[in-house]
Amino acid sequence: MRKILLLMLAFLPAAVFAQGFQVNLEGQKQIGMGHTGTGLLLDGSSVFFNPGAVAMLPENYIQGGISPLWFKSGFVPTGSNVQYNTANKVATPFNAYGVWGPKAARWKVGLGVYTPYGGLTDWGNTWAGKYVLTSLDLKTIFFQPTFSYKISDMISIGAGFVYNHGSVNLKRAIPLADANNPSGEAELKGGGTGYGYNAGVFIDTKKGLTIGVTYRSKVDTKLNDGDALFTVPGSLKGSFPSPNTFKAQLPLAATTSIGFGYTSSAKWLLALDANYVQWDVYKELAFDYAQNTAALQDTRSPRNYKNAVSLRAGAQYKASNEFTLRVGGGYASTPVKDGYVTPEVPDANRGFYTAGLTYKASRHFDLDVSFEYEHLGSRTQNNIESNLSGTFKSNVYIPGVALVYHW
Amino acid sequence: MKLNNYKNIFLVGLLTLAACKPSVETPVLTKGSADFSRFISVGNSLTSGFADGGLYREGQLNSFPSIVAQQMQAVGGGNFAQPLFSEDKADGSGYIRLDKFNADGTPVTVNQSTNNAVRGVIAVPISATATTNVTVYTKYTGDINNYGVPGIRLSDATNPLYGNYNGYFERLLPGITPANTSTSYLDFVTAKPYTFFSNWLGNNDALGYATSGGAGDVLTPKATFTALYNQVITKLTAGGQKGVVSTIPDVTAIPYFSTVTIGAILAGVQKVNPAATALYVSARNTADDATGISYTARVATAADLVTLTFPTSKIGTLVSTVAGPLPYGLTPLTPIENQYILDPNEVVLVRGYVDAYNTTIKAAAASKGLALVDMYTVLNNIKKGVIIDGVSLNSSFISGGVFSLDGVHLTPRGYAIVANEFIKAINAQYGSTIPQAEVSAYRGVKIP
Repeated sequence: MRKILLLMLAFLPAAVFAQGFQVNLEGQKQIGMGHTGTGLLLDGSSVFFNPGAVAMLPENYIQGGISPLWFKSGFVPTGSNVQYNTANKVATPFNAYGVWGPKAARWKVGLGVYTPYGGLTDWGNTWAGKYVLTSLDLKTIFFQPTFSYKISDMISIGAGFVYNHGSVNLKRAIPLADANNPSGEAELKGGGTGYGYNAGVFIDTKKGLTIGVTYRSKVDTKLNDGDALFTVPGSLKGSFPSPNTFKAQLPLAATTSIGFGYTSSAKWLLALDANYVQWDVYKELAFDYAQNTAALQDTRSPRNYKNAVSLRAGAQYKASNEFTLRVGGGYASTPVKDGYVTPEVPDANRGFYTAGLTYKASRHFDLDVSFEYEHLGSRTQNNIESNLSGTFKSNVYIPGVALVYHW
Repeated sequence: MKLNNYKNIFLVGLLTLAACKPSVETPVLTKGSADFSRFISVGNSLTSGFADGGLYREGQLNSFPSIVAQQMQAVGGGNFAQPLFSEDKADGSGYIRLDKFNADGTPVTVNQSTNNAVRGVIAVPISATATTNVTVYTKYTGDINNYGVPGIRLSDATNPLYGNYNGYFERLLPGITPANTSTSYLDFVTAKPYTFFSNWLGNNDALGYATSGGAGDVLTPKATFTALYNQVITKLTAGGQKGVVSTIPDVTAIPYFSTVTIGAILAGVQKVNPAATALYVSARNTADDATGISYTARVATAADLVTLTFPTSKIGTLVSTVAGPLPYGLTPLTPIENQYILDPNEVVLVRGYVDAYNTTIKAAAASKGLALVDMYTVLNNIKKGVIIDGVSLNSSFISGGVFSLDGVHLTPRGYAIVANEFIKAINAQYGSTIPQAEVSAYRGVKIP
């Protein structure tokens, strides 16, 4: 009686979403200045950076930008000399804004469509951590209608409602070999929605100093009826019902920001931002499968994130009537504690360096170009759940371009 | 500056991005104070790559010494030749594979020996009047670095006649049994110069006794083991060679003894016959091997370990006794036979031997300055369950991922774990930095 129970736990996918998923690419001019902007009046991206500042904008705007993003990670397992690299894939965060109000009015309305969270990682199905993750594609698109009101020449307020449409596709190898395949595969994919808001206050001291304070709320994104597909050896198909569906929930953290702008001369503008990201809402990641078996149980993976901060600074120099140059940089702390780092985004404290320029093609038309380089400190980790042990290191390269029409 | 110039800079920048990869620092590769240019491995089935009840080509290719040798190449290791079965005889001795699962989750295995390498069965004299049947295999004549011979005990290593009794050893020798009368295993493996060795002999000196439920085979006496082990190590290090040795596992850490349980058998019986209250086993009366060996039938308990090979269909079949025909396993007169049960006294006895053997192995390693792998501890930890690279591993049969279908030998994934333990021990002893192998690249049990 060779009775066995095929209790193959720990085969179940569990993903982690980190600061790496907060994509700070919401405006090309702001990217050029280290992604500052809470206390600035640069263009229609104020819809994102500070809805309170929208009413203070000198013109109306229609604009769109894109920031192709290469997130390049390498991993060397503990005790090994083999480095595994993510495949060369490019994510495409974008931003689009419209801002309008009558010239003489104290109010403006705006609409922003942007992608504040996302991730694209493809480690392939032969690397050391394939049973943790082979690939992840996470997208969020926020839609934010906004109203802003100028209380006086010195202070304005604004707020927007946020609707998020998110999608995820996560793949992971399952350690079940058959005669032809070295492992099986789990694929989880689906879309979800969430709601939140973005509110801010903007103060112009009229002495060269501008100040902004914003609060972007948490956006709980719920995935219902996601597809869970399993490829396993034939004799175990009953243990891994496929197609199956799953539910999951992903809290996208609230962010509080304060920013300053200082116009030191007609040519120079300096900016400083600080963000506080309340990642501690992310305590666990749970997957609830519609059909459970002894081998396929619901999972609850502890995440226990901590709150994170980032500090940003930038400068803008108006070189001529046609060209404006920008430079900036900053530092962001990771919300992921030691032991919780996973290959979805091998998060670490990161420094970033940016540059950008605007070419004023005509009176109404700007071409913005930006470039950002992020360096994630190398992080040697032994994950508490998977025991995937080794050193991660990542670099991020983000060029970007935007077209801005203003009148 | 013209806009076009900026555009060009931008485009060139885009193209270069595709090439940049982060570079993670890795330790400097060094062989330390060891020399891996000719590495040989000495041992039994666990060294040969034996798996799924047989020695076959895929198992050989995933033997732990082969994995270690591949990793050694980063620090000056040389070519590592194994006595592989040829591709057209890839099934080697034949082995078992999983065919399907029954509805109740029990596995069904079948023999796989279509392309076997069996040369025949030869009756070899073991005395003036008796012979033993030895299965022999297609000869291997090439270079050898992996000297693992399934079935060999430490107590066989110096026997000049052993090449006649073990088909796997006979396969490596030039002579055809029963003509192998002059080359002991120890002489054979040390005949050609080598710079580094692994020695994992000793398992079968206790395992053979245990897997036969204490009925067949004999435990190698502790003093004999010590003398032979020291003799082997002295010979292996005679030219100043460095090496690595391993302790032997607790025989009860293997699924061969933990898969079929008294409780599960009884539950199966009670489904058919609810009145059945107990199973009976023939159990050893004492763990002391100085006193005479005697057995008594008694009620089976959860502490009685049942072998994986026990044919459960025997339960309840009628056996003729002095009291007439009685159902097998269900009465004191028809207990489950000793050969299928490792009872608690036998467990105590075997553990005592394994502990003594391991004390000898550790002492020999220390006195010669050899690297030591404590496989006893490693396998006991796996029994408790470990997670490596996101894969949950333990000693469970089939689902545990570490042990192959015979419940004793390992899967490629299990051998990769063993290989890394050897690498870690070698690096620790000799200051080398042999990179570890990637456990997740090796499979567990093949599921149909």
